[in-house]
Amino acid sequence: MDKNDHAAIQAVLAGDKDAYGPLVVRHSQSLFRVAYRITGNEADAEDVVQEAFLRGYRKLEGFESRANFGTWIYRIAVHCALDRVKRRRGHETSRVGESNDPEQDQLQVADRAAGPERILLSGEISSIHQAALNTLTATERTAFVLRHMEDCTTAEIGAALGIEPNAAKQAVFRAVQKLRRRLAPLRVAT
Amino acid sequence: MMHLTDEDMIGQIYGEGENTAAVERHLASCGACAYNFAELKRDLLEMDRIEAPARDTHYGERVWASIESLLPLYAPGYIAQKRRWWSWNGGLAKGLSYVAAGALLAACAFYAGRVFEHNQQQPEAKNEVHVAPQPKQPIVVVVLDDHLDRSERFLVELKHADFDSAAMASPMRDEAKSLLAANRVCRKNAAQSDDLELTTALDHLDSLLAQAVNEPGGLNADNISKLQDQMNAEGVLFEVRVLRSRIARRAGTATNPAEGGTI
Repeated sequence: MDKNDHAAIQAVLAGDKDAYGPLVVRHSQSLFRVAYRITGNEADAEDVVQEAFLRGYRKLEGFESRANFGTWIYRIAVHCALDRVKRRRGHETSRVGESNDPEQDQLQVADRAAGPERILLSGEISSIHQAALNTLTATERTAFVLRHMEDCTTAEIGAALGIEPNAAKQAVFRAVQKLRRRLAPLRVAT
Repeated sequence: MMHLTDEDMIGQIYGEGENTAAVERHLASCGACAYNFAELKRDLLEMDRIEAPARDTHYGERVWASIESLLPLYAPGYIAQKRRWWSWNGGLAKGLSYVAAGALLAACAFYAGRVFEHNQQQPEAKNEVHVAPQPKQPIVVVVLDDHLDRSERFLVELKHADFDSAAMASPMRDEAKSLLAANRVCRKNAAQSDDLELTTALDHLDSLLAQAVNEPGGLNADNISKLQDQMNAEGVLFEVRVLRSRIARRAGTATNPAEGGTI
């Protein structure tokens, strides 16, 4: 474990709240990155980062001093992001239909906040892929993001999601298959 | 070897296949599988294009500033207590022998007590100890009325924002950021209370504030115009005013006007 992190945690537990600040500063970027990839939304990702650090602080007394704080808080952030995606799925009605019509697929890709010019300029392809990711279940999406973008092993994914490594592997497998199916019509069209 | 399955190939790409050497040999000798494998690799490489938007170098400091006031203090003696516990735990083996002796002593004392009690024949009144539930200490209380008041002022300011004035953009954005944090607390509370009108209004407000905070390039003329359009389309200002008047009415009939949330 990073000695600085360890010293900061000891200081926090000894009553120095401000010692948590450097931990937050040090790990915010990596937490935002994974939170964004899981939620696909900047505002949600920022909320997740805050929530993760708040939860982390409250659980700090249960933190094993031999563990790595970065890994530990990262897992908390993954849980927070997963919860948020699940809650969001429960609330919002999906904009993406079930049609396999390639033309319709292209029409369904939409950025929530931006106008057409901005989409064009700031990465239409990224939007398409983001939309494809949105068709996955929360667990599949998280497992895929952790495996493909964060280079986590299936054992680490399983630990982060609270599932067996084999279930994590299957989730990644299903995610890849769904994404390929989703993106195939677009590829043919281009 | 038969043709590779998707699972074999995915496992191979992520270096977690069960028999990577055999898969490699098969790929070298089977054109169809090699083609499918290359396709899969290309598809997965495509997914790398999803990148998280960059945060500036002060992002971590902003996160800290936003949560700092919400964190309770750990008691200063916590570490010492924990060390004492582990020190005791470290001598567990040695302590076990004392535990055995202690248990024997306790059994003897219990037996002696029972005998004494039987002899005295004086039942004592049993005093039940009621442990008062510890009140959950609210860390932050956001009063909805105050929040709506601030929000209304912000929306009015936004409505009349001068497109050419860069000087007012920064304070407005700061105010939006502060309101956004408070709004989320109120939203959470409103969601639990099943107040649809309140939840909807706070959702609209949240969306508007989030955009004001996160607009790339800050609050320039284009972005302000866009926010004004959204505000007008969703009638956010009207909703906030309706809610304020509703709360004011309620405050007139109840003694507890605070309707905020706790974190």
